Amino acid sequence: MNTLLKIENLHASVGEKEILRGIDLEIKAGEVHAIMGPNGSGKSTLSAVLAGRDSFTVTEGSVTYDGRDLLSLSPEERSWAGIFLGFQYPVEIPGVSNVSFMKAAVAEQRKQRGQEPLSSAQFLKLMREKMAYVEMDGSFSSRGVNVGFSGGEKKRNEIFQMAMLEPRLAILDETDSGLDVDALRIVATGVNKMKRPDNAFIVITHYQRLLDYIVPDVIHVLYKGRIIKTAGKELALQIEEKGYDWLIQESE
Amino acid sequence: MDPQLITNPTGRMQLALEAGASAEYVVLQDAAGHEGEAEFEISLAEGASLKMVFLSLDAAVLRNRIHVSLSGRHAECDLSGLYLPRGTQEMGFDIRMDHLVPECRSTQLFKSIVDEKAVARFFGLIKVVPDAQKTEAYQANHNLLLSEEARAYTKPQLEIYADDVKCSHGATVGRLNEDELFYMRSRGISLPEARLLQQMAFTGEVLEKISALPLREKMLEQVDNLLRSRR
Repeated sequence: MNTLLKIENLHASVGEKEILRGIDLEIKAGEVHAIMGPNGSGKSTLSAVLAGRDSFTVTEGSVTYDGRDLLSLSPEERSWAGIFLGFQYPVEIPGVSNVSFMKAAVAEQRKQRGQEPLSSAQFLKLMREKMAYVEMDGSFSSRGVNVGFSGGEKKRNEIFQMAMLEPRLAILDETDSGLDVDALRIVATGVNKMKRPDNAFIVITHYQRLLDYIVPDVIHVLYKGRIIKTAGKELALQIEEKGYDWLIQESE
Repeated sequence: MDPQLITNPTGRMQLALEAGASAEYVVLQDAAGHEGEAEFEISLAEGASLKMVFLSLDAAVLRNRIHVSLSGRHAECDLSGLYLPRGTQEMGFDIRMDHLVPECRSTQLFKSIVDEKAVARFFGLIKVVPDAQKTEAYQANHNLLLSEEARAYTKPQLEIYADDVKCSHGATVGRLNEDELFYMRSRGISLPEARLLQQMAFTGEVLEKISALPLREKMLEQVDNLLRSRR
């Protein structure tokens, strides 16, 4: 299988504070990786660095995506190349409706990928199809992006956007936080429908709960900016039972 | 009733709405290189209702003075404006809203996007005389600065001499929101397009005041073209 993402010895800081302290990670097409770990271990920083947030400075190491130097690309170039970040805290954009937001995004993606632009009818059909994925009703498209959305609606909107953009590597940053069981099921179903042999997922989560629905191939535990354990899906159950302490002690 | 379009007014304009009359005006200012002052002297009699939307898109120096006298009960005045100075342009509004009798309502919403070395000015005074109880008066001025050298001056003022009123005013000066920009870019919207979307979102609130759809669409297109041409 092809390697889609290769992270080598990645260090990243905010100001003087080093948050990622040497991450190595390799993801192949068709795989689902879960990243778990206690609060403040660097999970969200890792996802933000991969998506190109410039408030973090990469001080060492490299990230290769599909044979390209990912860190040299702008956030939009990463998106064109097929990277998608599902935000832990999706941003509200007052005054921009979901439909015009997605229209702009899809139009630009297609242009950059050398595809024909969609007609209005084709676009709206696509919207409806993908909205059904996450059980969004019709009123959603004219509302401002995430404005006045409940926590669950925001996360469903992230999955909807992912479905619209069909990324090759989707990074879901604590998509399960703040979700009730129904919303969790909807989100997980959306992800599972999108799984293909040529794409991959990084699912960042605090809890084992989500991994009941989205079954990972590999689980990594991040602690203090390093991966301290990599194992199969059974690790999630052990963490659920025993917490992180034993892993932390093992690594120290 | 369809709004009336007034294009590039100069000098002094008087507007008196009689009891029960209602009117809507869109004032479009788009004369490149124009330097001048436009003055609007407005009075509203009992139950009259006026809506006025200013779109100041082009000029060298532009100053709008608007004086409204709400002189009959239940009169309503809704003023709004969008002004988009760039280069070395200066655009400004000087507004005085006089609530002279009880039970009138006024709203003001003025928004600027200031680029390059341009200057936006807003001076707004709401005055409520002792007799004008049950007044409702609102005023907001929001400014978006696109460059380091852009300037916005804002001075909202309330002078209230009645005690049973609902009044508020607020002013902000800000820049494009980095979190929103990053969110849009992460979805593949290029930085210039993301900046444009945010600016259009900012202008929406004023443009939506234009009640006639064809005119609103036309103005929206003109604003869109203008903001697009600046990139």
